Amino acid sequence: MVTLEKMARLATECRFDCLGEGSVEAAEGLNSSAAEEAAGHPAARIAAGNMAEGLDQRKLATLGEGTRHDVCASTFSPRSRPLPGICHAFTQDGRCVSLFKTLYTNLCSHQCGYCSNSAGCKGKNQAFSYAPEELAAITLSLYRGNYIEGLFLSSGAGRDEERITEKMLDTVRLLRQKHSFSGYIHLKILPGSSESHIQEAMMLADRVSINLEAASASHMSEICSTKSYESDILQRQRYIHRFMTEMRSEVGQAVLPAGQTTQMVVGATGESDEEIFRRVIFEYDEIKVKRTYYSAFSPQRGTLLEGRQAQPVWRERRLYQMDWLYRIYRFRPSEIGYAFDDCGFLPNADPKLAIAREFLDLPLDPSTASYRQLLRVPGIGPKSARRIIARREKHPALSRRELAALGVQIKRASPFLKINGWTEGTLEMWQA
Amino acid sequence: MRCGSNYSFYLSLHREFNERLAARVVLIRPEDLEISLKREDIRIRKMADDVAGEVHRMKAFVRLSSLSPNILYGFMKSRHRIGEHVCEHFARRNEGIIVVLGNGRESWICLCRDGRIWRERGSGLEESLGLLKSALNIEESGQDLAGAGLKRINLDRLWQAYYDSQYCPERKNLAAFNRRMPRRDQEAAGMRLVQNKRNASLDDFI
Repeated sequence: MVTLEKMARLATECRFDCLGEGSVEAAEGLNSSAAEEAAGHPAARIAAGNMAEGLDQRKLATLGEGTRHDVCASTFSPRSRPLPGICHAFTQDGRCVSLFKTLYTNLCSHQCGYCSNSAGCKGKNQAFSYAPEELAAITLSLYRGNYIEGLFLSSGAGRDEERITEKMLDTVRLLRQKHSFSGYIHLKILPGSSESHIQEAMMLADRVSINLEAASASHMSEICSTKSYESDILQRQRYIHRFMTEMRSEVGQAVLPAGQTTQMVVGATGESDEEIFRRVIFEYDEIKVKRTYYSAFSPQRGTLLEGRQAQPVWRERRLYQMDWLYRIYRFRPSEIGYAFDDCGFLPNADPKLAIAREFLDLPLDPSTASYRQLLRVPGIGPKSARRIIARREKHPALSRRELAALGVQIKRASPFLKINGWTEGTLEMWQA
Repeated sequence: MRCGSNYSFYLSLHREFNERLAARVVLIRPEDLEISLKREDIRIRKMADDVAGEVHRMKAFVRLSSLSPNILYGFMKSRHRIGEHVCEHFARRNEGIIVVLGNGRESWICLCRDGRIWRERGSGLEESLGLLKSALNIEESGQDLAGAGLKRINLDRLWQAYYDSQYCPERKNLAAFNRRMPRRDQEAAGMRLVQNKRNASLDDFI
């Protein structure tokens, strides 16, 4: 039987905790750092536990706001024990907040027409920047308080992207090496970063990403005149892919366990969904990105593209569905092509339904259909398809009620199924 | 939240788990349970999923405060018997630190060191913290609950400023918010409700 006294003794004897030696110093500073506080340095005050006083909250909010269109809620990393991602909060738009998503600085020399941090943006009032110690201290405090699972660090390019990248790497180095931080880290690679910086970022982070933003070089030049699509972005993505392959074969360890990802702004330059889709296929097949994220264009105050029309959020959702069909359901690009209309756009309807209408001429019998065939039916996903196959080994005839209990969305699936010899009549069939 | 192959463990943490269910669990494999359409099996599945969901949300929503460099504590009042399991999760995440979770009636204390776990149950949270304070010889001044509470408020304020910055008003979707962050679980984790922070309230004008 363990007593509280014994636990207290064990905890006291422990020289440093999982956050390392540095964090014990910081934690000890929580109690007796009057001298540091007197020094008035924000990082010292943060270490002293007086977060709200030590830090300009406007800075925190501004640098946080700079990343609110950056999407990545995943915290899964095979480096640690595989656990489902934990979402510590959700915003009122329903999106998960599991990482401390922030910019290192909002000062930027690029002139991206969609971005509120760009050099030409008239709506930007003040430039802010963190110090590596300050950012590491905030991350540690929020991590220890169980507010976050890790850090998502992006940045404006500042006056020199190499210098900013170095500062970002200093922050991550502090976290990983001084504080033995085992949380998740997602680092944004700034366009134009050097190979050596990219390599170091890959050794320290769980995931790195470089934003593609546009579907092609011509679209890119329309939204940003200062970035080269080929050399600043695609070339860097190829470095990452090459390093990853080399290091995995040489070192034999899990370098960059959560891989690289990318993100696209949807609809800033009138590009079609088909163009985006073609680029995405290239990214998955050639660059081997783990995921592509989409962000529907929304004009920001004071930016060059302020006057353009915002894109509906459903467009983003349909692109995610299409992405899912390609990655998870393993649909062929030629099949997915049927979901686009004549102008290359996805209508506001489930793309899987449009593809099923094209390919499923005859209703499928769930008692005999293969896994791949079942996946083609709207309302049946990988999980329910697997369950159907497992269930029919013991009970060959499946009823509607049974299918519904196995997770099939029966209303959507039934027009494409022949259940116990019966097919549901649809208006379309009568029209045909 | 699906319990997956670990259903018997989650089921054993359910508040209505009894010997009859324990006997039934031995007879059924997880893969059979997943595709079974028997009424009792569906009930068992729902019970295990319910526990798994609560465990997941408590791991996400419980906030920890520091009482001293060696103690982290947080409020939790769960519907199922998951206190020890969640406390162990936090202890593993913060190796070398005693983690205390609890409420007015019961508390769970865990310490993870060198991969080993020490567990203890106590009565109310305040009482357990008091006992730990005396075991660690923590003086009353500056190290008491009020001092820790103040730090917690500061950290909460910091978090709130960041949290508010992540909201895109053009994407407002309260239905999704309420579905993913049920008020019941927020309260169980002693969380300050984060909803409607961007809307003006009467306090803003007074």
